[in-house]
Amino acid sequence: MKGSSTALPLLFTMTGLLALCTGVVWLVLQPSLLATYHYNQYVIAATHLFVLGWICSVVMGTMYQLVPVALETKLYSEKLASVQFVFHVAGFVGMVWSFRVWHMTQLAHFGSTFAVGVGLFVYNMARTLRRAPRWNITATAVTAALVWLSLAVTAGLSIAAAKCDYASALESSPPALVAALLHGFQAAGGFVAHFDPVSAMHAHAHLGGVGCFTMLIVGVSYKLIPMFTLGELQSRRRAAWSIALLNIGLAGSFVTILLRSPLKPAFALTVVAALAVYGREIAAILRARKRRALDWGIKYFLTAIVLMLPMSVLAVVLSWPGLPLSTFTGQLENLYGFLGLIGVITLAIMGMLYKIIPFLVWFARYSRQIGRTRVPALADLYSARLQALGYWAYLAGLAATSGAIVLSNETGVRIGAGCLALGVATLALNVGKMLAHFFKPALRPSALPASLTPKTA
Amino acid sequence: MTTNEITKETIIETLRQVVDPELGCNIVDLGLVYSVSITGKKVIVVMTLTTAGCPMHDSIRWGAQQALAILAGVEETQVQVVWDPPWRPSMMSEVGRNATGAGTF
Repeated sequence: MKGSSTALPLLFTMTGLLALCTGVVWLVLQPSLLATYHYNQYVIAATHLFVLGWICSVVMGTMYQLVPVALETKLYSEKLASVQFVFHVAGFVGMVWSFRVWHMTQLAHFGSTFAVGVGLFVYNMARTLRRAPRWNITATAVTAALVWLSLAVTAGLSIAAAKCDYASALESSPPALVAALLHGFQAAGGFVAHFDPVSAMHAHAHLGGVGCFTMLIVGVSYKLIPMFTLGELQSRRRAAWSIALLNIGLAGSFVTILLRSPLKPAFALTVVAALAVYGREIAAILRARKRRALDWGIKYFLTAIVLMLPMSVLAVVLSWPGLPLSTFTGQLENLYGFLGLIGVITLAIMGMLYKIIPFLVWFARYSRQIGRTRVPALADLYSARLQALGYWAYLAGLAATSGAIVLSNETGVRIGAGCLALGVATLALNVGKMLAHFFKPALRPSALPASLTPKTA
Repeated sequence: MTTNEITKETIIETLRQVVDPELGCNIVDLGLVYSVSITGKKVIVVMTLTTAGCPMHDSIRWGAQQALAILAGVEETQVQVVWDPPWRPSMMSEVGRNATGAGTF
């Protein structure tokens, strides 16, 4: 049997988990991150730790494994993916540090390193998508997410470029290629400098958060939710509309946020409409499912989808042109970002990790034993009790932190982040249990009936 | 070494050792095995999976092949995965429905 390597997806996933653990501990230690306005170096550093370190790492690792499987093809290049891992880790670690100390020149260096990694990732995925024998709604969503990811990185680099000084670097007569890059950055930075920096940052964040990650949640769940619940997509048309509306709404939102346009609510409502159509299709899939019991992994994921509702209300409120620029509004913006990244996206990923990591471990450890001996099922690799404890702790953390953010209360944020940390710790413990199968496999002799004789009997 | 008499029943019973790790149920009771044909010491199994693009595709097919390959009396095995007719939950046996929590149809 030939299968793609699971080592690299696991490496990406473990990197992501490490970043998530670091991120929640950071929130506990520095609750002011969420209790004060977000346009400062610490919040931007922590946000990039969550987005690039946690979300991007896991998303990229699992896409290398699952996109080829879901589209019935093979990954274009595993070697390229390994090279990307190096650029990815060096890039995001350096970026978080550069933001933390607010060193814009180093940020440009590490941002470029990260961007090279993203370029390799997008190229590898695009070549993989081109090989797909059949095109479906998931492939469309993955393609859109890759485009938005590329734009998010380009926008981020341009925002960083606007804060850099090029005079000294250009005066030192660098090699032609470096000089060309510097001129490119200077031009991009000069263009971005025409816009309000906070608006540019918000527009950039939406490209990544909605364009890449929400798009992937929507597109991938049309494949995974039916697969895990023994159901099927109920309406291809509805699924297609959700993806189309999300793309239109995001394109419009990006421009209107950047320009502080009064048309912002129209496009925010378009995104909300996309999510409403998506929610309706997921509800229809669930109603028609044959596997009645929902496991905790699916419950995490579905809770993330439910959290899109308060997110949508906040999005519309915050897009309103007449909204006063008060401290309270700033805290609502914090809540919006928090619910988006730590609520919807993180909870959805945690749920899917309870499907993906057992699969990666099982595939690497047991796929060659199946049929010869009795191998454990995926659900046997971790503790459902820990999963349930983690679910409730995480939900309590989201609720407590959300309340504390609105009230600008640091103690409340610390308590809420503590609950989030407990939720993340249960995931880490369960991941440890899963990885333990590499060292202590749970194999049992085959239960072949006595009437059947194996060749070696 | 004893040699089994290879019958369709022995093959089906052997395939019950292959469990879909996501659903926690064997491939026979899941209704994934469409046909078994035996020609001398060659066994051909035609089966499907619950969904096209299932991440366990290769593993389950490999498992079925391995389970049969170790049976005395079997010298050649061929496991073909087909998508037509597509699998439906109603193809599960009562054991399969209970194992997956699918209930009745």
